[in-house]
Amino acid sequence: MDAVRISNVTKAFGAVTAVDGLSLIVPEGSVYGFIGPNGSGKTTTMRMISSIFYPDSGEVRVFGQQMLGARSELIGYLPEERGLYRKMAVQPLLEFYGELRSGRKVTAEVVNWIEKLDLAKWASQKVQTLSKGMSQKVQFIAAVVPAPKLLILDEPFSGLDPVSADTLQSAILDLRRGGVTVILSTHDMQVAENMCDRICMIFRGKKVLDGTLESIQDQYGNDTIRVAAEGGARFLDGLPDVERVRDLGQVQELRMARGCDPQQVLRALVDRTRVTSFSIMKPSLHDIFVRIAGPEAGEAQIVQ
Amino acid sequence: MSSNPHRILLIAKRDYLATIRTKAFIIGLMVAPLLFGGGFLGIALMQSKPDIKERRIVIIDGAGEVAAAVIQAAQERNAKELFDKTSHRQVQPRYVFETLPPAADPQVQRLALSERVRRQQLFAFVEIGPAALQAAPHAANDKDSTPGPVSTYSNEGGFDEAGRWLSGSIDDGIRRVRLAQLGVDPSRLSDALAGVKIDRFGLVSRDPKTGEIHEASKKNDVAEFAVPFGIMLLLGMIVMIGSSPMLSAVTEDKAQRLVEMLLGMATPFELMMGKVLGALGTSLTSSSFYIIGGTLALEGMGLAGVVPFRVFPWFYAYLIADVIFLCSFAAALGAGCGSPQDAQQLAILLLAPVMIPYFLITFVMQQPNGAISTALSLFPPFTPMLMVLRQAMPGGGVPAWQPWVGLLGVLAFTLVMVVAAARIFRVAILVQGKTPKMGELVRWAVRG
Repeated sequence: MDAVRISNVTKAFGAVTAVDGLSLIVPEGSVYGFIGPNGSGKTTTMRMISSIFYPDSGEVRVFGQQMLGARSELIGYLPEERGLYRKMAVQPLLEFYGELRSGRKVTAEVVNWIEKLDLAKWASQKVQTLSKGMSQKVQFIAAVVPAPKLLILDEPFSGLDPVSADTLQSAILDLRRGGVTVILSTHDMQVAENMCDRICMIFRGKKVLDGTLESIQDQYGNDTIRVAAEGGARFLDGLPDVERVRDLGQVQELRMARGCDPQQVLRALVDRTRVTSFSIMKPSLHDIFVRIAGPEAGEAQIVQ
Repeated sequence: MSSNPHRILLIAKRDYLATIRTKAFIIGLMVAPLLFGGGFLGIALMQSKPDIKERRIVIIDGAGEVAAAVIQAAQERNAKELFDKTSHRQVQPRYVFETLPPAADPQVQRLALSERVRRQQLFAFVEIGPAALQAAPHAANDKDSTPGPVSTYSNEGGFDEAGRWLSGSIDDGIRRVRLAQLGVDPSRLSDALAGVKIDRFGLVSRDPKTGEIHEASKKNDVAEFAVPFGIMLLLGMIVMIGSSPMLSAVTEDKAQRLVEMLLGMATPFELMMGKVLGALGTSLTSSSFYIIGGTLALEGMGLAGVVPFRVFPWFYAYLIADVIFLCSFAAALGAGCGSPQDAQQLAILLLAPVMIPYFLITFVMQQPNGAISTALSLFPPFTPMLMVLRQAMPGGGVPAWQPWVGLLGVLAFTLVMVVAAARIFRVAILVQGKTPKMGELVRWAVRG
């Protein structure tokens, strides 16, 4: 069964159409990543899946059921903003949130997660004393207690240090291994590439990419060269058949024109400087994102 | 969409405990009666230290024979009221009189005396014209500035208690002269003019079971005024204490993005109703504290008989409906506010159903069963405050159907308000960065 099926959903706020005719399927047990620029409609889509917003038209089904505004303990939702009662202590707060969603006492689950995310010594402290990273862990526990079947995470790694981000990342993957379907949004393309089974890009309320990373990259072919050369990017200007140079510091990415022969690019490059590394590859998700949503992008093609 | 009562109660419990455990709530609970009690104490203290500075008054006697009678009446009154009968302390100022004949130019004389009043050499002056002894009273016309048969001039403002005291003495003096002119023995005048003590009673009733006739009970100023006024004041105070924080609380929750987290677990209606019931719990706690405390205090003062226990069920019914109505309204307004500053500006809307009845207290207490008082007390936003005021008045004579009709009206109004507020709350609570216009709020309330 599909965990989530969205069919031709539109949601507008006044004159602004936040989500426009969106359809997608989230397979059960997968990690499904939403990417897209700010204001593209990711959060609105996740709020509709969580039944916080109702679509103006179209249908949202979760595990085959239309939610129609009802709340379910099967869905855990972590909003992007920190939504915690600052004057409550950590453990009572998590017990309150857990009972609110499930309708039963969840003390054991809360204690288990507090220990798992290394928050035990903060359990009786007020939320206002916690750092941003610890607050995010607390909020994450609120979303996963008691065990949801569908976990919706809006920018879960935003503002976290690498250690906290790793902790959350492994917790999410643990849940996925336990059969939980995870939908997350992120601006970190590395996270999307590494964690997500499927990636969906929403741009201006419409779906412009949907599939596995490989299938998305296949749409663009092997049109990218990653090169490391003495002198760096200053020797790369004006190379034949190269549409764009992205300087990453130690290496540079070159986007080739359609039908171009990479050997010609290599020859031209060798004539200019000493090349230490040259590899032909598919474009990164970051590059694809920029091609669609960057300033040089034309009208994005809508994926049905 | 169905609602989950467990979620509503869980949110209510959290909000209730979060409120009553704060120092602000506990201190406020203790301080409010002290403030009110402090007010009464202040009045008592001021009354115990009256202004007893001697007051000099000039009488210009145009009638020729009135001044002496007025001075005699004033001195007799002075002698009776100057000292407290038990403590023997002076509690009134001593009035001292001097008499002047009318001058050729009254305006010049009035100006000269006015200057003496301004220099505080005089407290006031009285001008008694020749017509003062005529039987037909001068037609009163407040807009006419021409002096009548008797005029007083002073620099006192406000309620001018001294002016009233002086008017009574002048009236008394003029009556004495008139009665003397009619041949009444001057030595019997004080007896003839002495006031009569009037005892006020309620109505006699018959016991429907035994047929026994119950004597009417004597009317009591505390029961007549202080208790109904106090009960209405308490209801208004509790309703305001319970509902006012809702506006800023919802706005703060919205600003701190708490709401989105909660909306992932509870529907907007469950969230709003949980908050409303939490506030209701707080209101019931405060009101019970005050009612039990007030009743015990009155019992301690030997005034337990004036406590209108029959009104308490109505008090609580109105309190519950009023708090639910106002808290729902506050939650909807708070959800619509973009910032706590916006909420402050809207607070006046919340206060109106409580403040307007306060302005109507005197009118309703003077004519508790008049057509306008009845109509006002059946207008749902005002019903809780005004109906309970009328019901708390001893022998108020409110027909039995009126409280029931009033309560039904309030419940229906509250239901409509909760539904409308829930619709506004659902749409507005996640709107960030802009404050909805009044037209939008109305549209959301109607269409959802």
